[in-house]
Amino acid sequence: MKDASIDNLIDELAGDLTPVRPRRVARGSAWVAAGWMAGAAALLLIFGLRQDLAVRGMPPLSMLAFWLTAATGLAATWSALRMGLPGVGRDYGGWRWAVGASLSLPLAAVAACITDGHAAMEAARHGFGFRCLVQGVAAGLGVGAALFFWLRAGAPTSPTRAGWVIGIAAGAAGATIVALHCASDDVVHIALWHGAAVLLSAIAGRLILPRFLRW
Amino acid sequence: MSIDEPSLARLMAASQRGDRSAYRALLVDCRKWLTRYFARRIAPHHIDDLVQETLVSMHRKLATWDSGRAFLPWLAAIARYRWIDMLRRQRDEAELGDNDAAVGAEDEAVHARLSIDHLLTLLPPKQAQAITLVKIEGASIAEASQICGQSESLVKVNIHRGLKKLAELIESE
Repeated sequence: MKDASIDNLIDELAGDLTPVRPRRVARGSAWVAAGWMAGAAALLLIFGLRQDLAVRGMPPLSMLAFWLTAATGLAATWSALRMGLPGVGRDYGGWRWAVGASLSLPLAAVAACITDGHAAMEAARHGFGFRCLVQGVAAGLGVGAALFFWLRAGAPTSPTRAGWVIGIAAGAAGATIVALHCASDDVVHIALWHGAAVLLSAIAGRLILPRFLRW
Repeated sequence: MSIDEPSLARLMAASQRGDRSAYRALLVDCRKWLTRYFARRIAPHHIDDLVQETLVSMHRKLATWDSGRAFLPWLAAIARYRWIDMLRRQRDEAELGDNDAAVGAEDEAVHARLSIDHLLTLLPPKQAQAITLVKIEGASIAEASQICGQSESLVKVNIHRGLKKLAELIESE
């Protein structure tokens, strides 16, 4: 009976076949780029670019934080895109190295707290800190949506891990966009509030997305 | 005929272009490969079910194979995913207490029937009817088409959509 049932299934599946367009990482990358640009356009059109950016460029510390965050976002994005095309033996863990490198920011913030706790607390308490967190999460939604739809149409074999990675990529993308708007160059502010956008997005991705990524 | 990577990759590439005979040959080879794959991993009475589930998953995810990469690691990833999914389902059933009762074969069938009956009530009626006729009562697609008053292709579509929804329902429980 089972043999006949599988034979029937094979006949049905073969009968249902229609040509498919193979999914390419390049196409997914274009979606992500569009998501980042949409998030950046929305945030910067509403709130504007940081004023000193056009005049003297980004200060070194903010520049370093920006590129560390960007590297995290790019590595997580690349991992998420590859997760959509499964294969035993493929390594999806490159994003962990970028996240590890980005941890230098909170470590530097802790060092700043130890050196001058009062100044660090002042920087952390700035009124626009929470606003940066909200803006960072919101600005990353374009990238998060692009990766979510890419993976939903793909075949991620670990929906839980995919949820984490989408969240990290979205949060890091949002943090890079906020860095183009936020005028603070304080490492405590950047690590706490911009970093919180990445953390919050990652947790949201882990909690919300896996159930929608199962197939 | 031995199942070798280059042949499978060629068949898969042709399948992605819509070649049904190549796809049928591919599915037959995949069935053999999957039977061997699962034989080393699960109880014998689960093998056929898991082979079928994997073939359906493979069908749904055909576009995710990249012709620049080997075919068998792709198939193995899908097979492993279905295997883990089945283990997770078994785990969930155990947590729900389904395995607590020492039931005989007839009781087990009744439990399964009750369970599937419950899930079928959550589907649109036409999907539930198509699945009941073809997948549970063993009618052919043509017979189900006559009984339901739907075209054969619509019966197939309803079965595919219904099974997909059932899987989601099972996973969400």
